[in-house]
Amino acid sequence: MKIVLAHGKTQTLQHLRAPGYLLPTLAMPGLFYFLFEGQDQDVGLVTHLMASYAMWAILGVAFFQFGVGIAEERTTAWERFLRTLPLSAGQRLGGRVLSAATFAAAAAAVVIVEAHLINPVSVAADRWLPWSLALLTGGVVVALGGIAMGYWVSRRAATALAMLAWLLLAYLGGLWALPAELPGWTEAVSPYLPTRLWAEVTWAAVLGQPSALGDWLGLLAYAVGFAVLALWGYRRDEGTSYR
Amino acid sequence: MPEMTNDARDPLAVAELRGVHKRYRKAIALRGVDLQLRPGELVALLGPNGAGKTTAVGILLGQRRPDAGSARLFGRDPTLPAARRSVGVTPQEVGFPDNLTVAEVVDLVRVHYPYPAATSELLERFGLAEMAGRRAGGLSGGEQRRLAVALAFAGRPQAVVMDEPTSGLDVEARHRLWEVVRAFVADGGAVLLTTHYLEEAQALASRVVVIAGGELIAHGSVEEIVARVGLSRVHLRAPALPDVPAVIRVEVNDGSYTLYTADPDELVRALSLQGVAFTGLQVERASLEEAFLSLTGGAS
Repeated sequence: MKIVLAHGKTQTLQHLRAPGYLLPTLAMPGLFYFLFEGQDQDVGLVTHLMASYAMWAILGVAFFQFGVGIAEERTTAWERFLRTLPLSAGQRLGGRVLSAATFAAAAAAVVIVEAHLINPVSVAADRWLPWSLALLTGGVVVALGGIAMGYWVSRRAATALAMLAWLLLAYLGGLWALPAELPGWTEAVSPYLPTRLWAEVTWAAVLGQPSALGDWLGLLAYAVGFAVLALWGYRRDEGTSYR
Repeated sequence: MPEMTNDARDPLAVAELRGVHKRYRKAIALRGVDLQLRPGELVALLGPNGAGKTTAVGILLGQRRPDAGSARLFGRDPTLPAARRSVGVTPQEVGFPDNLTVAEVVDLVRVHYPYPAATSELLERFGLAEMAGRRAGGLSGGEQRRLAVALAFAGRPQAVVMDEPTSGLDVEARHRLWEVVRAFVADGGAVLLTTHYLEEAQALASRVVVIAGGELIAHGSVEEIVARVGLSRVHLRAPALPDVPAVIRVEVNDGSYTLYTADPDELVRALSLQGVAFTGLQVERASLEEAFLSLTGGAS
């Protein structure tokens, strides 16, 4: 545990010292919420959008800290040195999870606090816990996706791919616009995307509506798929990056 | 090849490879390599580039799994993190994060060990004390190399594995490192060292293991390695030299000959019998570097 904490602390410190890397994922969701959604009096709508942007914030941290972070670090001499220490892959990942969870919470908090300041959002007292759990569940799923990305994508391609995936999955998943406003073909694709499945259960949680079992199962399927890809990628990397 | 049973292992060895085979997609890296490292000895692993040294070290440290044969670190499977608790490592390729200080890097590494050395003492010992607050990624090549060596000692190890630890170090830093390594070995520590500097193996090694083409081709003390190849260097001056037996290599420089031979007695007798009017005869034992060249067929 001491080892996991030390790695979490070190990674957090490294990110704080490289703000160029950190700033987009922390500031963009809050900024976009303000620019594109702005102020509105529809309590249901602004609450729904607050939940959507909080997810988008977490998605960004997952893709950048896991996807880009792992892709950039796994081929470095430093990372190879760390593998010679009495350190398990699980402990190293644990440190990354701690650091990412800190930044994900911060990025989501920016959106949530901002929404409360500028809009009449309303989350019932008994909805905060289900909402947090829904955010956490989906956060784990997309983090697994980020890890898989980190092990399969080269360091050069990682930043571009993470940015593209972050924006596309947000748009197609209905995090920016209401799902009903999605044009033509996107509406057909949207219900099968991890972001949309995550959004459905999160909207239901925050607005106090029943969630569909199918959405949870869909999320579970993505979690398993991403986990398999991540593990496969990790094993593959283990075999090639030490010469 | 089946894994060896426990009783076949060297009970004293802190690190051991037994019959290790490893092949990559395109090439065979190791074909049945055995290696033992015991407390209080320094084993120098020599061999030309691509001989399989780094693969052997990687398997010993649990970074790769052998296709056949077994690797043991303190009697355990080296892929288990706990097996690496008493081993310090200086990798061949060194690099540090840009945005962590030297002291932060040392502190992070220390966390992994139950009884680590104090950060300040460690930095002092490797001449890094005044760099504690600098960004590790911004250090010069030589400074990074020193930090990498210091990190190998962060956990108060019983064994240290160093892959080319002094490449890029100036003479003074190299000799300073040798002193640290000698003291560690005198204290009962075990060191496995790969190096290109044969001077380094001669200065430090209790045993030398030579790998070429993925195979262990010679091992013994530095003296034994040289004696086994029996390579001597015969210097003489002569107007011309006929064909003489048992000469492996000839260097000529303005009437001054250097002959490398396995049998200097036979060579000198043959020269006398053929009436060669040589002068200034000198017979010397070849250096480890020359022995090494002849062992690996000159491919270094």
